[in-house]
Amino acid sequence: MSTNCGNPITETDAMMPRRCKFDRSKMCIKCKENRGNIVVRHAVYCKVCFVLMLNQKFKRSLEPTINPVPDGPRKKSLSPLGNLVIAFSGGLGSTVLLDLVHRGYISSRKPRQDGDISTSRKDPKNEMVWKEVRVCYVEVCGAFPGMRDRTDDVRRVVESYDGFEFVPMRVEDAFDERWWESVGGRPVEGQLGVDVMNEDLILSPSSNPTSPLSTLHIYLSSLPAPTAIPSTLQTLTRLLLLHTSRSTNSSHLVLGTCLTSLSISLISLVAQGGGFNIKEEVQEEWCLGKVVVKEDKGKEGRTVRIVRPLKDIGMKECEMYAWWSDLEVVGQETWPGAPQGIGGITKDFIIGLEKDYPSTVSTIARTCGKLAPKDVPAGICILCNRPSQGQVKAWKDRISIRSLSSSPLPSTSPAQPSLAPYLCYMCHTTLTSKSSKKPNSAVSTEKGDGVESKVEVPVPQWVGARITAMGREVMKDELKEFLLVDEDD
Amino acid sequence: MPRLCALCSAQRPILKRPKTGQQICKTCFFHVFETEVHNTITEAKLFQPGDRVAIGASGGKDSTVLAHVMKMLNDRYNYGLELFLLSIDEGITGYRDDSLETVKQNQKEYDLPLKILSYNELYGWTMDSIVEAVGRKNNCTFCGVFRRQALDRGAAMLGVDHIVTGHNADDVAETVLMNIMRGDIARLGRCTAICTQGEDTIKRSKPFKYTYEKEIVMYAYFKRLTYFSTECIYSPDAYRGHARSFLKLLEAARPSAIIDIIHSGEACEVGEEATKELKERKICKRCGYIASNDLCKACTLLEGLERGMANAGITDRGRKQLEASGPTPDGLRTIPFFQMNTDTPLDSASSTPIPGQTVDARIPAVVHVTAG
Repeated sequence: MSTNCGNPITETDAMMPRRCKFDRSKMCIKCKENRGNIVVRHAVYCKVCFVLMLNQKFKRSLEPTINPVPDGPRKKSLSPLGNLVIAFSGGLGSTVLLDLVHRGYISSRKPRQDGDISTSRKDPKNEMVWKEVRVCYVEVCGAFPGMRDRTDDVRRVVESYDGFEFVPMRVEDAFDERWWESVGGRPVEGQLGVDVMNEDLILSPSSNPTSPLSTLHIYLSSLPAPTAIPSTLQTLTRLLLLHTSRSTNSSHLVLGTCLTSLSISLISLVAQGGGFNIKEEVQEEWCLGKVVVKEDKGKEGRTVRIVRPLKDIGMKECEMYAWWSDLEVVGQETWPGAPQGIGGITKDFIIGLEKDYPSTVSTIARTCGKLAPKDVPAGICILCNRPSQGQVKAWKDRISIRSLSSSPLPSTSPAQPSLAPYLCYMCHTTLTSKSSKKPNSAVSTEKGDGVESKVEVPVPQWVGARITAMGREVMKDELKEFLLVDEDD
Repeated sequence: MPRLCALCSAQRPILKRPKTGQQICKTCFFHVFETEVHNTITEAKLFQPGDRVAIGASGGKDSTVLAHVMKMLNDRYNYGLELFLLSIDEGITGYRDDSLETVKQNQKEYDLPLKILSYNELYGWTMDSIVEAVGRKNNCTFCGVFRRQALDRGAAMLGVDHIVTGHNADDVAETVLMNIMRGDIARLGRCTAICTQGEDTIKRSKPFKYTYEKEIVMYAYFKRLTYFSTECIYSPDAYRGHARSFLKLLEAARPSAIIDIIHSGEACEVGEEATKELKERKICKRCGYIASNDLCKACTLLEGLERGMANAGITDRGRKQLEASGPTPDGLRTIPFFQMNTDTPLDSASSTPIPGQTVDARIPAVVHVTAG
């Protein structure tokens, strides 16, 4: 995009010279026989070679992550420690992913005979790699009144393939104790609430038990900015998928994030303060309530590996694959409020920038792939379950004065437990960063003098459970000299 | 009941801080603005008593407020710094000549010695003549590379230990985004550092690293500071322009986005594998300035200009063309040899603005080489 108002007739450098879409000829660069049908980054492919190339890219990305020790030789036997969960949203990426998984690992293979998958040394080309494959869909229509429920459309697409078990979920399940118990969660004694008007995020018992759907509405409408809603829904969806994967003894959770979506989510993550988790945005090992260390890798049933096998495939390539394979893309409903979200703004920006700078998307992914967290994680964020740097509040207080007191007293006492110390920067900011515009009605709790009153927001089930568990850990620590057997183990 | 300042709870608020969302009064705004800059300086241990510090002054809002705040904090907290104003005259008619008038006015108001160093004196080219030679495309590359060296050379002439610049939180966030989007790993690794110093460079720091551009404008407005507010007449760097407009959209949606991006930049670093790919720092064989290759970027750009191959320092093809066209001819203008610590710095009095000021005679502005 030029900032000049140059006249192309009189100024020769006012217009960029038009570049040819392909480098040499219109013939396919692979088979060199057929006329090309698609240009992928200046390389011409025919339809047959394009599909083969896409399959190769997909396998090259997925297979090194299947064995417990990642990045091992691909040609060796593929022996995952558990089952597979495919996250399906109905969008383009996950539709292509579903088809590629089915063609590559289900329809072309026999069911797995060996019960003990960890010791299997069977030829991976003949037998299914994962014993069970589930397709999980999280319906978010509950978050927005009037939004269409697409579970049946998604079910139809999933059931058109054999070998998949369909697992539908709803985003409000995050607040449903029945769902929590169904995925093996320890029951939470009473609902906990958090005061989002106080940056320390003071916790207290929630007074009014409501249905999961009402609780979700209270949670979303209490967020301090509209931008927090899409981020929150993304976090809730991710955790619902992870807990489901764990409860189904799945070692792998695959997402349909293509190269374009990955670049958008990386920039969006950076824009929301999540730079510490750049690595996790590309590939992640998740273990309930703890940071995954090297020793945990390869231990059965302990970790879920989140893989994005389409991370080297652009959106245009996915579109062509879906078109040529005649795949039905259910599509995603537009989330009201999504365009105001950081992710929506980033998406518009990156897609626009890609027109002038076609290598932007791959450059972002490649650059972020070279980055690593600066510090060792201080723990796991209680809300998003990703490694956290800690000291979030201290950093924020250091760079901005929020009180005139020279030695501010801690705003929480031992009697007032706070959520803030257990959150990562991104989650803390999502729960506290206010919009520049007027707050929405649910959060507008200012008294006449401008002082904001308490707003109690219920927390997701896994947060409540972790806080309860931490309370037990503190008690256990005090009693450790007297306990002979650890009941929790 | 009328709304009260979120900090003092006594006065009527007159502004909403973008960084915290708090509505505060003018007195509290001045207090938090100045104290936050002071906290940034002291926590990063930027200065030692007795340090000679040059404030990079362009006459724009950031450097004007920086000069005001540095002078005030130095007096208020007894930093014990010897402050100078250092300006670079890029030679842009109708832009820099006007903004330098503002710097000269600031010099009188704050009673600080001022040194002005021009591209013409140092490189034998003004930006006007560069644009005439290369067109508007890529001219920001010349300006950026030449300015960085010019600041270091001006600082060396003043014998200062440290340069402070008016880069604010918006600039830092914008740079983080831009470096990720164009894959500049080397710059990404250092762009969030508050202070950068190599063995062969003068220490540089950004006391406004956590200060929002909006708050700098508010401060200048409420303090009635004089600054020059026109954009450069040559097209702004297109890529930075994209990053800037994206950042503005993010900020409009969530004001904390600027500080969130800085936090992201601080939280990650270049991984071990990628560090190995980074080029080692060298010394330019021609001018003694830091370089990644045998010649520093400024010498390459200057040679390209002198030999009528302006793309030599911009594209690989241009560099190859320059190499293929034979050795550097005799009599070509080059940049004076760089010495970081001059033993006898310029006397403060002699560096005050003089009409038609010329560069210090100890370092000739333009020298002629006889060999390639």
